[in-house]
Amino acid sequence: MISISEVYRSIVRRDPLSTEKGKAELVFLNLWLHIHPVKVKKENFRIRHTWYLGFITFYLFLILVGTGVALMFYYRPYPAQAYQDMKDLQFVVFMGSFLRNVHRWAAHGMVICVILHLCRVFYTASYKKPRQFNWVVGVVLLLLTLGLSFTGYLLPWDQLAFWAITVGTNIGGYAPLLGAKIKEVLLGGHNVAEGALIRFYVLHVVVLPALVVLFTMLHFWRIRKDGGLSRPVWKLEEETTTEGLVQIGSAAASPPRNESVSAASNDKTYGLMEVVTGSPLFETVATEQVDEEVFSFPFAFYREAIAFLITLVSVMAISLAWSAPLEEIANPAKTPNPAKAPWYFLGLQELVSHSAFVGGVLAPTLMVLLLLAVPYLDSNPSRRPAARKWAIWIFTAFMLVNFVLIIVGTYFRGPGWALTPPWVHVAGHE
Amino acid sequence: MNRRAFFNWSVAGLAAVWSAVGIAVGAVARFLVPSVFYEPPQNFKIGNPGDYSFGAPTLLPDEKIFVFRDQEKGFAVASAVCTHLGCTVQWFASDDRFHCPCHGSIFTANGEVAHGPAPRGLEWFEVTQARDGQLRVDKSRVVPASYRLVVKA
Repeated sequence: MISISEVYRSIVRRDPLSTEKGKAELVFLNLWLHIHPVKVKKENFRIRHTWYLGFITFYLFLILVGTGVALMFYYRPYPAQAYQDMKDLQFVVFMGSFLRNVHRWAAHGMVICVILHLCRVFYTASYKKPRQFNWVVGVVLLLLTLGLSFTGYLLPWDQLAFWAITVGTNIGGYAPLLGAKIKEVLLGGHNVAEGALIRFYVLHVVVLPALVVLFTMLHFWRIRKDGGLSRPVWKLEEETTTEGLVQIGSAAASPPRNESVSAASNDKTYGLMEVVTGSPLFETVATEQVDEEVFSFPFAFYREAIAFLITLVSVMAISLAWSAPLEEIANPAKTPNPAKAPWYFLGLQELVSHSAFVGGVLAPTLMVLLLLAVPYLDSNPSRRPAARKWAIWIFTAFMLVNFVLIIVGTYFRGPGWALTPPWVHVAGHE
Repeated sequence: MNRRAFFNWSVAGLAAVWSAVGIAVGAVARFLVPSVFYEPPQNFKIGNPGDYSFGAPTLLPDEKIFVFRDQEKGFAVASAVCTHLGCTVQWFASDDRFHCPCHGSIFTANGEVAHGPAPRGLEWFEVTQARDGQLRVDKSRVVPASYRLVVKA
């Protein structure tokens, strides 16, 4: 007869959590938790270092997957049905409008948090060696987030969706040489019609989320490999100039390496995984306790759980207060005036209103290339804000220009894309 | 065959197989380009000449065309699709011009760009009279703005 405790032991093989060994094993014997280090630096979890923006973005993605899968049970990606299914979700399906609201607001939140996260990483110079490549992965994730938002935008098949995607895909048509072909493949035809809807749907529910998952895994993995959550080392350097620790792998270049310590062998690196008390599995290694480090359980998990709770409750509260917009059914014969893209593309639309090629293709391509190249263009090794004034000014100007373009496109463009302040109502247009 | 020759041939053979597989996978990408389009025909009838009034152009919203009927010169058909980013332009009788709601492009009654980001003027399509007397538009045949179909009364 098998006892319950034997079954439990077969699943959970760690020591009790009251012991340090148990706390350590909880992390490194668990598939889902072992992305964490066993111990974290208390310093890293201070709110004002990261504002938890990366965590929040990830949590919003989880919420989006959950609500998105729920919505898929009712949604049929065909023009004749899609809009009706939206109406069903809004008025008939139990909790349908709530789930749709959560999905919509979490999506907007994710775009905002990704951008704020990018700003945080830039201002703390966290893209510098050895984290250059992780910045690139982050920019790819930003683009994937925008791609998910854009493909999701068409699915309700209302007027807003239809014309935003018409404008968006026509911008793609201005790409040199392959423009027309890109548009044809993206739309599965020459107009926004059923071919476009099914293609956007497949991209939205399978292709792009899968890519986000893959790149997120890479992003998290590299954070670990690059030395954990980034923290303002320039402040710590002021306190202690030399750290009495052996450097592992090809770590930061900052303090000159003591040749007698480094490189026992040129082609191998060794890592000490973790030091805990308790009866050992392998061999006893003694070391001095680094006092600022604490076990991830419960210190980090507690903070992450609180961040998740705040994220979830906020999105739910917003969804109870405000409903996701749904306009009348898509009508290819009637363009609303003004026809606007989703807000995060309104800066682009503002540029496009001056020149489709420069604004729609050249400027965004250059912007993305510039963002991707940031860690390689910025050769200044210092992370101290005072030592990188130029970088901070240029980046701030870059973000500000984008912000102003979006504000102008959102609030200051009226019928016929004429410059109209938001407090002026233009009669005779709907 | 010695060992070295055998090894070299094996590598060459593997490389050939991998290349063939690579080309096959690349060819599959063509799968994404549709081979058939379930779209409205480019060549269609728009009714009898008598259906259209003189003066201001008539918008056929589904076909996205404007039908002009001129007292002396006859019929002409202009595209209602803005050449900028594909929105449907509107005719404003107040200034006899086409206005695009999306980015503010303005076209003259001849379809020329009067203002705005549109890179070129509106297209004009060939319009003919079918045997049954109806007007027939062919969107695949672009004609100059001066093109007119004169219909015998």
